Amino acid sequence: MKGYRNYFLTKLLWFLVTLVVAFILNFTLPRLMPGDPVAAIVARMAQGMSNTTGVQAIYEQYTELFGTNRPIVEQFFIYMRNVFRGDFGFSFSQYPRTVADVLRTSIGWTIALQFPAIVVGWSIGNWLGALAAYRKGTFDKILMPASIFASSLPAFGMAIILLVIFAVSLKWLPTSGGYGYDLIPNFSWRFMWSVITHYQLPFWSIVLITIGGQAIGMRAMAIYELNSDYVKYSRFMGIKDGKIVRYVFRNAMLPQITGLALAIGTMLFGAVVAEVIFSYPGLGSTILTAVLGQDYPLVSATTLIITIMALLANFIIEIIYGILDPRIKAAQAD
Amino acid sequence: MKHRRLLFLIIGLLLALSLTLAACGPSVPTPEAEEPEPAPTEVEAAPAEEEEAAPPEEEEEAAPSEEEEAAPAEEAGADPNALPRNETLYFNGQQWGSVVGWNPYSNNNNNAMTIAQQDNARVLMFETAYLYNMLDSQVYPLLADGPYEWNADRTEITFSIKPAAHWSDGTPVTAEDYAYTWATHVKYNTPTGAANIDYIDDIVAVDDGTVMVKAKLDEDGNALNPLLVEAYLSTNYFIQKAWTQTLEERVGNDATALLADPAEDVVYSGPYHKYFADDSKVVLIRDDNYWGQDASMWGSLPVPKYLAHVIFKDNAAGTTALQAGEVDVSQQFNSNVNLLWEQDGLPISTYVPDPPYMIGASLPTAFFNLDSPGLDQVAVRKAIAMAVDYPTIIANAMTNQSATFDQVPRSLMNPTEGEQALYDHEAVADLQWVGNDIEGANALLDEAGIVDTDGDGWREYEGENLSYVATCPNGWSDWQAGIEVVAAAGAEIGIEITSNYPEWSVYQTVVTKSDAPLPEGYDIFMMWSDGAGPTQPWGRIRKLMSSEFIGMSSNWNGNWGMYANPDADAIIQAIPAETDPDALREMYTDLVRIYLTEVPSFTLMYRPQSFHTVNETVWTNFPYEGDGTNPPVPPLNLMDGWSVAGLYNLELVNP
Repeated sequence: MKGYRNYFLTKLLWFLVTLVVAFILNFTLPRLMPGDPVAAIVARMAQGMSNTTGVQAIYEQYTELFGTNRPIVEQFFIYMRNVFRGDFGFSFSQYPRTVADVLRTSIGWTIALQFPAIVVGWSIGNWLGALAAYRKGTFDKILMPASIFASSLPAFGMAIILLVIFAVSLKWLPTSGGYGYDLIPNFSWRFMWSVITHYQLPFWSIVLITIGGQAIGMRAMAIYELNSDYVKYSRFMGIKDGKIVRYVFRNAMLPQITGLALAIGTMLFGAVVAEVIFSYPGLGSTILTAVLGQDYPLVSATTLIITIMALLANFIIEIIYGILDPRIKAAQAD
Repeated sequence: MKHRRLLFLIIGLLLALSLTLAACGPSVPTPEAEEPEPAPTEVEAAPAEEEEAAPPEEEEEAAPSEEEEAAPAEEAGADPNALPRNETLYFNGQQWGSVVGWNPYSNNNNNAMTIAQQDNARVLMFETAYLYNMLDSQVYPLLADGPYEWNADRTEITFSIKPAAHWSDGTPVTAEDYAYTWATHVKYNTPTGAANIDYIDDIVAVDDGTVMVKAKLDEDGNALNPLLVEAYLSTNYFIQKAWTQTLEERVGNDATALLADPAEDVVYSGPYHKYFADDSKVVLIRDDNYWGQDASMWGSLPVPKYLAHVIFKDNAAGTTALQAGEVDVSQQFNSNVNLLWEQDGLPISTYVPDPPYMIGASLPTAFFNLDSPGLDQVAVRKAIAMAVDYPTIIANAMTNQSATFDQVPRSLMNPTEGEQALYDHEAVADLQWVGNDIEGANALLDEAGIVDTDGDGWREYEGENLSYVATCPNGWSDWQAGIEVVAAAGAEIGIEITSNYPEWSVYQTVVTKSDAPLPEGYDIFMMWSDGAGPTQPWGRIRKLMSSEFIGMSSNWNGNWGMYANPDADAIIQAIPAETDPDALREMYTDLVRIYLTEVPSFTLMYRPQSFHTVNETVWTNFPYEGDGTNPPVPPLNLMDGWSVAGLYNLELVNP
């Protein structure tokens, strides 16, 4: 028990150190980008303005409001104080909307798209990979090339192929949006059905690529396990195949679980391509626009959330590993 | 068995999430029972500038008969949360990203469907006194009653307000509203206030129905800029005094809070208002009590009950929706737009059936950094401009959606008839290069003594090879294609030009800093110019040539290459006060002559004010060239300036 406590405390310490460093980087890195974010706002405000003094006055008003004219250290402390109060401030690119408001309206869509897609892709991929390793023969010969093909396709390639086939040519599914172009969100079957049909293409464009990658990884791991001594021994013992596959699956899955945790931890960033190609609402394209538009508060807030989620996922996995696999704990607690 | 359970779990999760999302959606008002569409009408009006002009023609359009009103609504049992296709006009290319607010005092609403106080003001929700028509360069009364009048000294403008005009809350639109709107702009230093305070002294209510706009005067007692004072009338909204006072109270008279207020409760006078907005779409609904159905204005309500704009994330998604008939009016660049009807056989069309398909209005321009060694020489600048292959730019970057320089010879004017008539074409004909003139460009350089003396293939000036970087923002594909053609032209005439594409966030910061020389890498760079509007072409010329912008630390006006010519400055300053058409023509001709002789910058293509492509699957009778409307309805998506008249002409393909 003492060994496990040491292991836990070491992991917790590293978690906190990484969090502090990440927090500083989240603030600093976006602000090191060349360019002036206030200039973009002034560009919007200056539409139709034809005198010289007006534009200047507006520029100064906004640098003051956003505090970009203050020393960066002072900006950091203001940022830190606000973040601890849960206030990420105004989004520069969508001013006067607050960062919290921008996140609130789009984060749900991203999680609803990414989380099931990652889980489904991961589950099907691992299941197929293990099956291919065990069955071998024709099944493996078809699955392997198909998986390599799917996983090496860039995300936008898969999205465009699905769009052209199922939406543009066959017209089975809608081309874009999160729900029908002629609907207003409401609690009705029609609307829900519309959400589900619009969900399919972005969802499968992510799932198919995930399946390929996972299947390849799982197959390699499972083949290794199938040749291990405990499998051979089980066979000699006359244990049924189904049970042996289950043993193999469980052992081969450990590294795959790390991948799953990290994918879930970083999922908020992940769906940019699907979101853009299918004009699907969500956070991915908002972050992209924020980065390009130097929206420091929005970039810092989203990267901070993603950092915390990834760190937490990693931390939880390591803690669980410590319980699941005593070898890891033993090796690291020394 | 385990996998089946997992599958059920996932499906359950998906449904739960969908439900959550649905439940999160904001509530919307239930639409009233559907009304029959008013019959389409050809709207006519007289220009406001003609003193003798008759008031807008009275429409004989009858209000919907009682019989029609009594008829049971067809869609009585329809889903109240679905927009009936036959009553909804869909747009794309206007709204990118979510709507932020509905505040007419602010420019930070990202609300493309309702708020744009510009040369062709957007008048679906908020209204101006007059509507500008880019096709005939006239303004027509909207909230104003008849034409405006200058006093004898041209220092004060007076106009009256239509007695029928009222706000969405039913109270009349008064001169006091207009005066208070101006006072608020000034008091809180709004963008409108900051932009006009140098030219407008005050706006006062003479009586309830009469407004007086007083120009700022110079030391001689003349208006500083009568042109900008006139333009205010068609570019800035009437905002209700009572609502403004409510807003002021809410924000405690704080300027920043006033501009940041989302103004969901705003009172408006226009025919449409907010129905729904989220991250995916914006929907406006018609106000059936709109004052404009009075015979003194349109005589009927606009035809579509709903105006909807789905928020697409890129042009490709917007084009796909246009092809699918999910968009009726497209204000975005649809590459090779002609293939949509020629190849795909879709009922899609543009304002003009043949190239350039659109009416060009603005002049995307390459500026020279006049401090770069060699670019201070007219011969080098002109040689580069002469050598550029413009037809390739127009064919590739604009897929022929721009007039060529054979069709509309280069000047400072856009291709509209009104502007083209403002200068003497004959007088400057020998200065108007059409491009691809490698021989001429080489001869010009040789004549200036700028030759390749060391035989390395590049010409030298003062012992240095002529080597430049041409640049524009990354991802602005039409500009990038243009810059590549400029670079290729350089190689043909012994001038090394390489291209570079920084991100827009960096680019804009560098280019708009006019209080210091431009840094390395910005020798030739792209920026825009003004389009069509009541101050044009003067405003555009000023922004291309006036030296008044040099020295600004944040220059969003123009002349980014920092060109200075006192003669040009003097003419630019004199034009706004000039009323004699012959004198004006002479002044504009002089400016064109200076511009084409000195080449401080050069236009690469013509670009429309708005892209205007329509799909006639559901709606028809959109404006097109020669459609017989009088005054002609400009191709500005039925929402900007006089273009809004097109909303009253629409018809259903299958009524």
